[in-house]
Amino acid sequence: MQNFMRFMMKRFVSAVIVIFGVTIVAFALMRLAPGNPAALMLPDNATAEQIAAVEVKMGLDKPVVQQYIIYITDVLHGDLGTSIFFNRSCAELIFGRLPATGLLTFAAVFVSILVSFPMGIISGIKKGSAIDFGSMVFALLGMSMSQVWLGLLFILFFGVYLGVLPTQGYGSFRNLILPALTLGLPLAALVTRMLRSGMFEVLQEDYITATKARGIGNFEIYTKYALKNALLPTITIIGMQIGQLLAGAIIVEQVFGWPGLGSLTVKAIHMRDFPLIQSILLVSATLFVAINILVDIIYVVVDPRMSLN
Amino acid sequence: MKKSELLRRMGKSKFFVIGAIIAVLVILTAFTSPLFVVHDPIQSNLRNRLIPPELFANGMSGFMLGTDALGQDIFTRLVIGCRISLLIAAAGVLIPACIGTALGAIAGYFGGAIDNVIMRICDIQLSIPTMVLAITVMAIFGNSVPNLLLVLAIVGWTSYTRVVRGSVMGIRNAEFIQASRVLGASNARILITQILPCVLTPLIILMSQQIGFVILTEANLSFLGMGVPLPQPSLGSMIADGREYIATAPWTVVVPGVALMIIVLAFNFLGDGVRDILDPKNKD
Repeated sequence: MQNFMRFMMKRFVSAVIVIFGVTIVAFALMRLAPGNPAALMLPDNATAEQIAAVEVKMGLDKPVVQQYIIYITDVLHGDLGTSIFFNRSCAELIFGRLPATGLLTFAAVFVSILVSFPMGIISGIKKGSAIDFGSMVFALLGMSMSQVWLGLLFILFFGVYLGVLPTQGYGSFRNLILPALTLGLPLAALVTRMLRSGMFEVLQEDYITATKARGIGNFEIYTKYALKNALLPTITIIGMQIGQLLAGAIIVEQVFGWPGLGSLTVKAIHMRDFPLIQSILLVSATLFVAINILVDIIYVVVDPRMSLN
Repeated sequence: MKKSELLRRMGKSKFFVIGAIIAVLVILTAFTSPLFVVHDPIQSNLRNRLIPPELFANGMSGFMLGTDALGQDIFTRLVIGCRISLLIAAAGVLIPACIGTALGAIAGYFGGAIDNVIMRICDIQLSIPTMVLAITVMAIFGNSVPNLLLVLAIVGWTSYTRVVRGSVMGIRNAEFIQASRVLGASNARILITQILPCVLTPLIILMSQQIGFVILTEANLSFLGMGVPLPQPSLGSMIADGREYIATAPWTVVVPGVALMIIVLAFNFLGDGVRDILDPKNKD
């Protein structure tokens, strides 16, 4: 337990360092952005005096280091700045979009687990079988499909050709199906591959042979003894993917008109709304780091050996 | 590994053979395309809008794969667009591989504070989701091919750094390295002449597996209008342009979509094949 606490402390400290680094990156990118932020906030016909006044208000006349200190102080007080385009607080905008993105992420991970676990486990056990070949083809296809293309293929087939599912919008369960599939299947391909090789490798281990020698049934060996170890690298991958997805599955949200963080990001980029982009960068990196800490905790729970190192 | 053994393994790996054949065909078609395309890839002709694929009905001068909303021949745009995508993919793999290898070798070889700093920068980069970072950088610096390569380098270097660092840490205290050190070789010399050859195998495997990823990233960025600048055709922007007409003229989306899938699939096959061939664990 003490080891665990120490591990978590170390993990937490490095997370804080990373987030601190991200604030520097976000701040530096803003300074590199073309155009005067003050001029961008004002209408086109603003006078030089008006621009100068806003510059002073925004602290742009101060030295860069001082500007960064002001920025980081604001962030620590929960103030992420104001969006130029929407003229609303960035935090409000971002957290308003999170439920839609969270729902999509959850559904996609659900789809991927539903598809990949049976395929990956069976093909790992029965390497070289027809099921194995099928899952390998699925995995390679899934990893080679651009989400743009997969999404449009679904729209073409289910929306245009069969006309059974809505292709745009948000709100009902039927709206969720196609985006979740588009996002979930490539992830399923990745997890299938990992589980397959993980399962196969674990089953070669001596302790599995020993378990067999003790007369324990195959089913129990697979589920109780092999899967637990085969699952470990898979958890990391799923965790990292959730972190990426929570930042908004930019492509999928764009293809299906899903009102999540991803489409907000694209909107912000097209409008050159740099305060909003900066905040999205910071919030999504924080989410990513938080999810990874969560994964580490799960890791320790699943595999007690990990807590020592 | 001897040359004959390498060739034997290449022939034995189905993934490698299939991937290599398709990849070579794609590369040849794309780079010889200026010799045989008859239409202009950029000139629009509104009289020829949205013509369905004619295949070989009118020979090479017809619209084999149909035309898009601007009346441009899709086949022409496809092969010209592939050429750009392949060039970007090549540079987009090589540049981050060089940067990542250099940083990974330095981090792994020297360890300590240098290692800490480099790996922390790695963590920071990895914590910002790829696409968010990519489109932000594109938005700030503007659409151009050099900026696209910059983005691919920024999102790509970390995997090389991690792999190379791991390999270097494993050998930095090996006897042959210590021997060089005793003989008075400088760190730079050891890194280049002793360490680099040792990490070449994992590096080649990783590079071959990254090609598909780079092509997909470029296509995704171009789809969002943040990649190859217009009017230059690219697979991603062709898909984006066709999206509006998906119900009435599905070929505008299907043709570039299928092409993208085949190309990425071929390079992913190739990557898996290269791993099977070079991975020392792969003994048959």
